[in-house]
This record gives sequence, structure tokens and C-alpha cells, in this order.
Amino acid sequence: MTAEIKYNFAECFEKLSGIAHPVQSEQAAIDEIVSVCTSLDAKCVALAGLPESMVTEIEDRCAGMKVLKEPYPAETLPGAIDESDVGVTGIAFAIAQSGTLVEISTDDAVRLVSGLPRCYIGVLHAVDIVNRFEEGSARIRDIVKQHDDNLVISFISGPSRTGDIELKLTLGVHGPGEAHAVIIGNQSK
Amino acid sequence: MATERYSRLYDKIDASLKDRSKSDALLRCMKRGRDTRSRALETLPGGAAFRNDVRKVKERCIENLPRLKKQFIENVEKRGVKVFEAKTAADVIQYCLDLAKERGAKALAKSKSLTTEEIELNQPLIDAGIDVVETDLGELIIQLVNEKPFHLVFPSVHKMAPEVAKIFSKATGKAVQGDIPSIMKVVRQYLRPIFLNAQIGMTGANIGVAETGAICIETNEGNARLVSSIGSCHICVMGMEKIVETIEDAMLMILAHPVSASGQLPTTYVTWMHGRSPLGQGAGQPRRESHIIILDNGRTEMRADPVYRESLYCIRCGACMNVCPTSGIVGGHTFGHIYPGPMGICWTAGVHGLETAADFAPLCISCGLCKEICPAIIDMPHIIAEIKHRDAKKHGQPLPNKVMMGADRAARLGCATAPLANFSLNTPTIRKVMEKTIGLSADRKIPTFASPSFMQRFKKHRSNVVDPQRKVVFFVDVYANYNDPGLGMAAVEQLESLGCEVIVPEQDASGYPFIAYGDMDRAQKAAAGNVAKLTPYAKQGYEIVSIEPTATYCLTVSYPRLLEHDDRARVIADKTHELLEYLNKIEAETGKTPISRSLQGRRFGFHCPCHQRSLGAGNGAMKWLRRRGAEVELIETGTCCGMGGTFGLKAGLLGHKLSMAVGDALFELFKNAEIDAIVTESSVCKIQLSEGTGIAVFHPLQLL
Repeated sequence: MTAEIKYNFAECFEKLSGIAHPVQSEQAAIDEIVSVCTSLDAKCVALAGLPESMVTEIEDRCAGMKVLKEPYPAETLPGAIDESDVGVTGIAFAIAQSGTLVEISTDDAVRLVSGLPRCYIGVLHAVDIVNRFEEGSARIRDIVKQHDDNLVISFISGPSRTGDIELKLTLGVHGPGEAHAVIIGNQSK
Repeated sequence: MATERYSRLYDKIDASLKDRSKSDALLRCMKRGRDTRSRALETLPGGAAFRNDVRKVKERCIENLPRLKKQFIENVEKRGVKVFEAKTAADVIQYCLDLAKERGAKALAKSKSLTTEEIELNQPLIDAGIDVVETDLGELIIQLVNEKPFHLVFPSVHKMAPEVAKIFSKATGKAVQGDIPSIMKVVRQYLRPIFLNAQIGMTGANIGVAETGAICIETNEGNARLVSSIGSCHICVMGMEKIVETIEDAMLMILAHPVSASGQLPTTYVTWMHGRSPLGQGAGQPRRESHIIILDNGRTEMRADPVYRESLYCIRCGACMNVCPTSGIVGGHTFGHIYPGPMGICWTAGVHGLETAADFAPLCISCGLCKEICPAIIDMPHIIAEIKHRDAKKHGQPLPNKVMMGADRAARLGCATAPLANFSLNTPTIRKVMEKTIGLSADRKIPTFASPSFMQRFKKHRSNVVDPQRKVVFFVDVYANYNDPGLGMAAVEQLESLGCEVIVPEQDASGYPFIAYGDMDRAQKAAAGNVAKLTPYAKQGYEIVSIEPTATYCLTVSYPRLLEHDDRARVIADKTHELLEYLNKIEAETGKTPISRSLQGRRFGFHCPCHQRSLGAGNGAMKWLRRRGAEVELIETGTCCGMGGTFGLKAGLLGHKLSMAVGDALFELFKNAEIDAIVTESSVCKIQLSEGTGIAVFHPLQLL
């Protein structure tokens, strides 16, 4: 029997034009998020699906920026999120083989946070990375079992792309032209 | 009817051949698709083996479709989504019009959906005053110029950046620069308010998951995420064949789609929707709803049809378009109705009718490459042959097709009257008359006939093999029998030199032209005849060896399909070998090495005929030549040389002219290669390559 190939999520995500940020702590993750926002000179950042502690810290650190967070008032949508330059969402799990971030949501505002801004940042814990694509099935089944009503599971594998003109790869035609993955902890070997 | 139909097709082919700019773009697209797929397969554990898994899943899910559809609907409805089962296109259109009217909706944003293309949903909605906007860039481009997709995956591949810039200049009323980054900036600005203000978001679904009631929507641009999340009313239109049983099945499809379409893993965004989510919290939230329309539109009949049923395995990846030789030249507007390409013929027959499919089915030259690349291993060549057959039963066959299907008889006659027949073939005025009367191209150099035939010569042949170690039936087919008996005798000598007892029992021509032009009754008869004639020898332990790739393909691939309920066909297939692959095997087993390295210092370009790809891909011949000292390079474009069996022997646009246009790229590769000669085992590819390159072309046995 041949040994199973061990995929590195960060490498696979970067092959898809994503940018990976392996860090060791939530604090370091916040540093990366703030650094990305600052480097883009962001005026507005939208957050969703992140732990309260991270949201508070990001708000503090992004003092000069408008920070949007959950719950998103329905009457302000979708326009409010459309104003944001950066969207940050928490990630349920990731698939190393395909460089895929898996976001779950029960409010479509979350999908807009990861789908409308020019720059997207997904935040995940390295322990939540599965190795092979097929291994995603069991995780999806578990998640679906926990949601009897509405649920959207989104695979995000890099930035928005198109090759529709002359087959030339172009990023960010509708959604984010930049996709970052901030990975907290070490992926198991 | 037939004449009118062909005249329309000729006009379209003629236009494609006169302006090659679109096909140049398409050919680049196809090549990129093939190359990236090959690279992706190298990184995928198991490589192309996932095709067997996809096939099994689709077979199981289509077999159980009524049960799975019921389960899917139950699970979807549990989550509050309304399901509408639409029998026809008109039902879908009316349902959508009613929904829009009830909600007073005037703005509808769409993500790419081939199913809505199939039923031409946009126009009736637009006629009802709804602003329908395609948000996939390629679809938007063709919507703005009112065209249909040129390619299944890249619908606007024929539009270059300057033309696209002009299209958006017109759409926006502002000048747009002709470079892609500038265009993209404009597209983003143009579409953003359309996304934000859509009242209805319409998507297709790549997959429906019966286990959970989820729909999966795949896009690279991310437009389906916005379309399905913003508008208060979401409508998904999906074909019923998209339903799979489990999450595992869905994951396999999510892998197979992009790998097959563009060598990507995975599509950038995959949205698994279970029910409809709110958009934000608190007051001010409009009623959010989701409707899934499951379309039949002929699918039930397709499922009940033993031949068409397999079309429902299609996952709409467009890979078949990336290998189809004639589609690459004429494009999807000629090679298609709404669904383009090889699979387009099959789907068109199922959902738009036999007559519509048969309008462009003659463009299929039966090379079989589509089946070789299809992730669900759909036997498109067989389905298309059946479509041609059913249509020919109603409208008859054009004379040139009848002539080509009678090539075996003509060759027999030509052999019997060789001096006269060869004089005729070599006399330009007679050839002109033949072109006008029977449609045989006057520009083709046809191989001369030889007399006596191989069969006659073999009868006089006395073997000197003592104590034979193997028993071989030699299957000769048309060319070696009537045109080049020496080649057949050389094959026999090679086999005998390795200790084989060779017999040539009564046999018929393989009959592939019947499949190519769609006379399935005669194809079946030829298959049954040969299987009956060869079976007694197979039972006695004889192996069957063939010299012509298409004949070998017939015995191993086509006959078992044509004679599905005859186990003997499977036995014959298992016993059949390509000559050179068989010789290599004996050499390896016996330790007998070639007597001489007589090809030392020679350098050949090898051409693998299409039908050989599913056999040994030419590796047997190349190995055999290398063992004799030759340097051999496989030279290929990844598609056909254009000859397509007897297709290229026919005169005109649906024959010689299109055939040569297909071959152009390959001719250039050979001309630019530093080789002494071209080697191929196919007698018809030899004609094509010789004419297209001016380089000498040999069968490997002719080199010794």
C-alpha cells in the first residue's frame, strides 16, 4: 500500500493565487488582518463568523476604519457590506488538497462579507484542516446534521477569477481580487 | 429536406473556413483545456481513474432517479423551499413569469445556467418587461450581442479583447479601453448595481443532493454567490439528471467538473444551498424565498431510451469540445444548436428533437476522441451514430455517404479490375466525373488496387512454421486486402517468424463506415457476421491480430457495444490484439530480439490514429520501431489528423476541405519536425498526412 500524500494547505491555497498567513495565535492572526487592512488603506472592514474576542480586538486596532460586524441590520443590506474594502469571515474547516476554505452561514450577510469586497480574509485553525478532498464529505454531513433549517456551505478556493476574455486569467471580476487565509496553529504533519 | 439541410450546413462551414479568426481562438482554448487537464491528472491520485467512479455514480443515480428525485424534493421542501417539477420549457417560463408578476419584479440577475439556455428562458422574461442580466462574464458578452455560446465552458471565447471593449462601450455608453484590466474594471462597475438591486436571483445547479436537499452551484467568478444571496426571491432551474444520491457523490462531481473542463481543482466557489437564509437581522427584512424548478423537457424519454439514456450521465464539463476535431474548426454556432459540440448532438436529440440534432450531426467524423476524454465515459460516438441512423431512416442518406459505406465492395471490385480501376483513379477527368456523381474528392490521391488480393495470395501461402507455439487469426480488413496485400503478407511473415501458426479464415470488412455514417442495421450485421465467423477460432484458443487500428477498434470497442447481449462479442474483444503490440509481447515472452537493428540512425515522427488511442495509444508500434534502432517521436496536436476514416475522401466542405482544415495544425508540427518520414498504422491517416505534409508516410512494417 502506498503512503498517503500529505497536502500542505498553505501551498495549495497559494497555487490558486491566494495568500496564506500561517500564525501561531489569535493575537498574531489579528496582527495579520490589521496589517492587510492597513496595507490596502481600507476605509471599511466587514466581519462575520469570528469569535467575539477577535471582533473586539480588531475594532480596537482598526480605530481609523469603519468596522461592520454582526448582527447586520437587514435594512442596511446589501449596501452596507458593499461599502467595505475588506471582508473577514471565520472558516469552519479547510481542505488541504484543493486549497479550499469552507465557510458556513445561516445568514446571507456572511456570504456578502466574503463575496462583495475587493479583499477577502478567511480565518481558520490549522486543526480544522482535512487532508484530502474526499474527507470533506464527513465534515459536511456533520454540519448539515446540525442545521435542520437554512444553511449555506461555501467552498472558497482563492480569489474570484475569470478567463472569459482570451482565456487570460483575471482576478476580481465580481468578488474579491485578493483572497487571504490566516491559519492559526500548525497543520498536522 | 435533406438537401436544404446540407445546404445550410455547407454555408456555415464555408463561412467558418473563410474566416479562421474564431476557430484560431477556439483551437487555442481547446488546446489549453487539454493541456491543463493533463497536468491536473498528473497531480490527482489515481489520475484518470476518477472517470470510472464518475461513471458508476451516474449509472447508479440515473438508474434510481425517480426515487432520488422524490427524496431530494422531500428534503428540499423540509427546509421551506418551493419545488416545481416542470415537464416542458413552457412550464418553466410560465412559472417564472408568474413569480415575477406576483412580486412585481423588474430586475433579474442570472448566473450561468445551461439549462435556462436550453429552454431559451431569457427572451420571454425580457418580453414581459423584466430586465434580465447574465452576470457570468462570458454569458454577459454573448447576451449583449445576442449570440449563443460558442463553447460550453467559454461561451465568448471567439471574442477578442478589442471587440469585447467595443461591446461594453456600447452597453455603458462610455469608451472602454481595449485591454483586459480596463475591461474588467468596467465590468465590475457595470454589474455591481445589477447584483445589488436584483429582486430575483436566478441560478442553475450543477448538482442536487438527494440525501440533504442541497443544491450545489459552482462558479469561478463568484457571481452565483451574489445572485443567490441578494435578491429576495431565488430561483434555481436545474435538469432532473443533476440529482445525485449522497454528499460523497456530490464531492466527486465537484472534483470532476473543473478537472475535466479546465484542469482546475476545484472551481473557485462552490455554494451548497440548503433552504433560503435571511439577509441580515431585525426589522426591514423582505420575505425571502427560494424556488427550485426541476426540469424534465425530454429527460424522462431519454432515460427510457436505451441509447439516449447515457446522455444523462453528462456533467456539462465541455471536455468533449476540447478534443472534437471538426467542432474546433467550425465552432459551436455551426457545431451545435444551443448545446454545442459532440455531447451537444446527443443532448439536442433528447431535448430539442432528432431533426435539430441531425442538422449538425454530419459534422461528427466518428473519431471517438470525445469518449476518451469524457469524465463519465459516455459513448458519444455510438449515440451520435444512432442519431444519424434514426434520421437516415426518415430522410435517407446522401449519396456520398452511401458510396463510402460501400467502400468494401468498391475495393473488391477495384481489386478484381485493378488495371481499369487504377487507370480511372489516376485519370483527372474521370475523377472529376466521379466527384460530381458520387462525391469522391477528385483532389485525393486514392491508393491503387492490387491484384491478387491478400486473401487470394494467402491461400497460396505455405507456412514453414514447425511446432507453432501460438495460434493466430489474422484480421486483414479492407486496405491490406485489396490495396496493399504485401503489407498483410509482411504481417503474416512477422508472426510466423516468432513461431505463430497464422490462419486467415473467412471474414468480412470491419464495417466501421456503417457506424460513422449511421447505418446501425448494417453495422450490427457486420459485427454479428464477424463475431460468428471468429468465435469458433477463439474457442480453439486462437488470438486475433489486426493490422488496421480502426478494425481493431471495431473488434474490441464497437462490436461489444453493438452486440450488447452477445457474450461472444466480449470474448472476441478480449482475444483481439494490435499486430505490433502482439509482436512485442511475444518478443518479450520468448526473449527473441529483432534480428537486425536495421532502423539505426533513422528518425521518425509517429502519428497515433484516433481509434488507436483507446487501444495502446501507438506505444506498441513505437516500442517495436525503437527496438529496431529507430528514433521515434510521437507528434500530435491532441486531436484528429482530420481524415476521420472515409470522411476526408468525400468531396467538398463536408469532406476533403474540412478534413484538411482540421489537419493543418498537425501538418505544421510534422513539417517542422526534423524527421526522415512519418510512421502510422492507419491506412487512411497515411493518405491525409501524405497530402498535408508532402512527407513520405509508412506503415512500420514497410520500413524493414
